[in-house]
Amino acid sequence: MTRLRNVAVVAFAQLPTVAHDPHRTSTEMLYPVIRRALADCGVERGAIDFQIAGSVDYMDGRPFGFVQALDVMGSWPARQDLHLEMDAAFGAHYAWIKIQTGEIDSALVVGHGKTSEGDPRRILNLQLDPYYQAAIGLDPIATAALQASAYMARTGATDADLAAVAARNRTAGARNPEAQLREAATADALRETPWAVEPLRTGYLPPVGESATCLVLAAEGTAERLCDRPAWIHGVEQRTELQTLGARDLTRSPGAQLAAEQAYAMAGIGSAGDADVVELMALTPVEELILHDALGVDARTAAARVNPSGGALCAHPTMSTGLIRLGEAFRQLAGRAGARQVPDARRAVVHVQQGHCLQQNLVWVLGRERRWT
Amino acid sequence: MSRAAAVVGVGQTKHASRRADVSIAGLVREAVDRALADAGLEHRDVDAVVMGKAPDMLEGVAQPEQFLAGAVGAHLKPYVRVHTAGSVGASTALAATTLVQSGLYERVLAVAWEKQSEGNAMWALSPNMPFTPPLVAGAGGFFAPYCRAYIAKTGCPPHIGPVVAANARDNATRNEYAHLREPMTVEDVMSSPVLWDPIRFGETCPSSDGACALVIASEAAAKKGPRKPAWIKSGCSYAEAMWVPGRDQVSPRAGRICAKAVYDKAGIRDPWKEIQTIEIYVPFAWFEPMWLENLGFCEVGEGWRIVDRGEQKMGAHLPVNPSGGVLATNPIGASGMLRLGEAALQVMGRAGAHQVPNVRNALGHAYGGGAQYFAMWIVSEAL
Amino acid sequence: MSAAEPPKEPVKYVDATVRLPYRYVAGDYRATYLRALKDKTILGSRCARTGKVFVPPVVASPESFAPCEEFVEVADRGVVTTFCIVRIPVIGREIELPYVAASVALDGADISIYALIQECRPEDVRMGMRVAAVWKPDGERVGSWEDILHFRPTGEPDAAPATYLDRL
Repeated sequence: MTRLRNVAVVAFAQLPTVAHDPHRTSTEMLYPVIRRALADCGVERGAIDFQIAGSVDYMDGRPFGFVQALDVMGSWPARQDLHLEMDAAFGAHYAWIKIQTGEIDSALVVGHGKTSEGDPRRILNLQLDPYYQAAIGLDPIATAALQASAYMARTGATDADLAAVAARNRTAGARNPEAQLREAATADALRETPWAVEPLRTGYLPPVGESATCLVLAAEGTAERLCDRPAWIHGVEQRTELQTLGARDLTRSPGAQLAAEQAYAMAGIGSAGDADVVELMALTPVEELILHDALGVDARTAAARVNPSGGALCAHPTMSTGLIRLGEAFRQLAGRAGARQVPDARRAVVHVQQGHCLQQNLVWVLGRERRWT
Repeated sequence: MSRAAAVVGVGQTKHASRRADVSIAGLVREAVDRALADAGLEHRDVDAVVMGKAPDMLEGVAQPEQFLAGAVGAHLKPYVRVHTAGSVGASTALAATTLVQSGLYERVLAVAWEKQSEGNAMWALSPNMPFTPPLVAGAGGFFAPYCRAYIAKTGCPPHIGPVVAANARDNATRNEYAHLREPMTVEDVMSSPVLWDPIRFGETCPSSDGACALVIASEAAAKKGPRKPAWIKSGCSYAEAMWVPGRDQVSPRAGRICAKAVYDKAGIRDPWKEIQTIEIYVPFAWFEPMWLENLGFCEVGEGWRIVDRGEQKMGAHLPVNPSGGVLATNPIGASGMLRLGEAALQVMGRAGAHQVPNVRNALGHAYGGGAQYFAMWIVSEAL
Repeated sequence: MSAAEPPKEPVKYVDATVRLPYRYVAGDYRATYLRALKDKTILGSRCARTGKVFVPPVVASPESFAPCEEFVEVADRGVVTTFCIVRIPVIGREIELPYVAASVALDGADISIYALIQECRPEDVRMGMRVAAVWKPDGERVGSWEDILHFRPTGEPDAAPATYLDRL
C-alpha cells in the first residue's frame, strides 16, 4: 500500500437531533456548530483551507438552497469551496482526497437540511427514476420494505430478529444526549408498533429529524495543533451500485462489501473484527444485518461495539446522518463519548450510505495512531 | 506540488432546446460515449465518476445521479454528485481532476448535464424564497441590475452588448454542437425586445438540453493515450458570501481571487500575452466585458474597449468563446464543463472549424449563484 | 383479460406532476423582522465586530463571521442602488408587467433589500433615486412582507453615487 498523507478528524460538533427546530432556519442551525468546531480547534475561520457542504435542494424545498450556507460559513474573503448534493460524509471523503493532492491541509465539512419542512417520503420518491420506479409511488420506506421482505425470505430472519436489532440501537441511543430517540425500548415493545410498510414496523424506522453538523479534517503537521487526540484516517473508499431495484440482489450489499474491502486494505486490517467501534448508517434493522455481512461484523459482539451512538435509528437528520457516524467515531477514539464511550477504543469502522436500499456506500477506518509512519 | 493531470477525452451532445429523441440517460450517454471513444477507452478503464448538474427542480427528479449510475458506467465505482449552481460543470471537472491528482485514481470520468426542457426552467430559476417578496425573475432578472451598474460605472456604450452577442452567434456557426447556430447581426440584437432592462432577448442565453463529459487522466495514463492530451496546469474553485456590505457584484472579489490563484499556479504572469483563447461563462452579453476585467485581461473599466476594438473576435488577439459560449448553448449544468472542455479542445488542436491557431494556453471559466461561485482552469499543450 | 398488445407507437413521454408541500421556518430573526412590519418598523441586526447593520436581520455576519444579535431600527426610506425592468412573466406571479425590481439601500442599513418600485413610469427609475415605503393601511398590516406594498419615489434629489455604489 502506497504511503498516503495521514489525515485526521480533529473536531466534530452537532446540534442535538430534534423533530423540528422552530427557531432557526437550516443555515442558521449551521452557524453555532461551525463556531463550536473551530473553537474546539482553537482557531479562527481563516485557518482552515477548504470548505465543503452536503445538502439537497429538494430537502431544502428550494433550488440553490445551499448557496445561503456560504453566508454563515465565514466565506469572506472567498474560500476554496465545493458543495455536494449528498450526505456531508461524502464531502468529508472528497476533502480527504483533496488533502491527498497536497493542495490543502485542512477542511471544514458541514451538513445541513431541515427535514421537518417537507415530507421526506414524498421527496425521496423523486430520487427514483421517473419512468418506472417513481411512477408507481415507491417511497424510501416502501423500497426498504421490499429489501426487508427479500432478505427475510432468503435468510429466514424474523420480525423478532429485526426487533432485537432495533432494541439494541435504542438502548445505545439512551446514552446519547445528541440523539432524538433517547429512551430505551424493548424488542417486545417495538414488535407491538404498527406496520409502517410491512415487514417494517414504525418502531424499526428512524423518526423525521433535523440537525446541523460540522467536522474538521486536518493533515499531519496541522492536526496535532488543532486537537490533542486526533482520530487518524487509516482507510476510506466509496462504491455505488445501480438504483434499479429489480437489477440488484437487495438482500446483499456488494457495494458496501467492496468499499469495505478497499478501506480495510488501505488500513491494513483484515475485517471489522479489528475495530473496537463500528458505526453503521443503517436506516432499518435489515440494512444493519446486511451490513454486518458486507462489512464482516460479528453479530455476536454487536452489542458491545456496533452503533454505540444509537445509530441512524435514534437520529436521522438527512444530510448529516453519515457525518454523525464519522463524528461519533472521532468522539470514541478521542475519549469524548461520555456515557456511550466504548472503553479504550483504538480503532473504528464507519459506514455511510446514500440512496435507496444501500445504493451508495462509503466506508472509513480510523484509529488512534497514525497509519503511515 | 500536485501530481500532473490531463484531459484525454472530450464528448458533448448536440445541444438543442429540446432533445425529445433521448431520455435523460440517453442524453448523458451520448456525451459519455463520445468522451470515452475520444479517449480510446472503455468503461472498465475508468476508476471513478463525478457527475454535476444544477438544481434538480429543473427536471423534477431529486438526485438523478442515483438512477443514472448505470448509464455513466459508475457501477461498483466511486461516484460523487457535485452542485455549485451555474458553475457546476466546471467545478465537476475540477473535482474529477482532484481525484486524479490525489494519486488514488488513474482515470476519472466527469459528466455534467441538464435536460431542462423536461421541467419549467423559468420557474426553477425564480425561486420564491419564503418570507421574501417574489421579485427576482429568473437569472436575467437577478443579473440585469449589475449589468446596469457596470454600464453606469464604466460609460460602456449601448452597442457593446449587441456586438458581443452577434460575435458569439457568429462563432457558433462554426460549432457543430451549438444549440443556436443561426447568425445574428448587431441590428438584429438591438431591435430584439428588452426582457429585463437593460438586457435584450438577443443578449440572452437560450435554455438548452445538453451534456458534456471529460476523461481526466494521470500523467502516466495520459501519455499512453492515442492523442495529445490537454495538460491541466491549474484548477481552482472559490465561493464567497452574498450579503457582504460593499460587495462588488460587478467584479466579484471571489472571481479575482480565483483568477489570481489559477494564474499563479500555472505560472501565468500576463494573461493577455500568455493565453491565446478563453472560454468564459457569458450568459448575458454584458458579462463579457465584465469578466475580461474580473479575469485581469485589462484594467477595470476597460473591458468594453476590448470588445469595441474587436480584439475578442476569431482571428484577433484573444478570441473569446470560439465555441459560441453560453450565449449560443446553455444546458445549465453542462455549461461550465463545456467551457473547460472547449478550452481543452483548443490546446489539443481539436476544435475543428472553431479552432484558434497555435493555442499554447487556454482558460476555461464558469460562475454560479449570485456571482459567488467561480471555477476555472488553465490547460496547456505542454506539461 | 387478453394479453395486452404492445403500443403501435413507442412510448415517448411520461408526464409527471410533482406536488410537494413545504412548511418553511422563518427563524426567530426573520419572524421578529416580519412582526415589526405590522408597526411600520423595519429592523436590522448589527454585527458585534464591525457594527454593520443587515436588513433583514441575520444571525451571523457574512463578512466578519461574528454574531449579529443586536436588533436596530432602520428607516423605511432609502436609495435605489440598482434595478431592472422586468418584462417577462413567471409562473405563479401576478405582478403586472412591466415592473421595476430594485435593490434599495435603506437609510441606516449596510446592505440593500429587493423592492418593487411603483407610482412612477419604469423609465423614470434611476440609480440613486430616493424612495420610501408605501405601507398597507393601519388595521390591514399583519406582520408579513406584504405589509409593504411597494416603494415610491419621494421626489428628493438623487443620492450621490459614492453614497450607494458600494451598497449594491
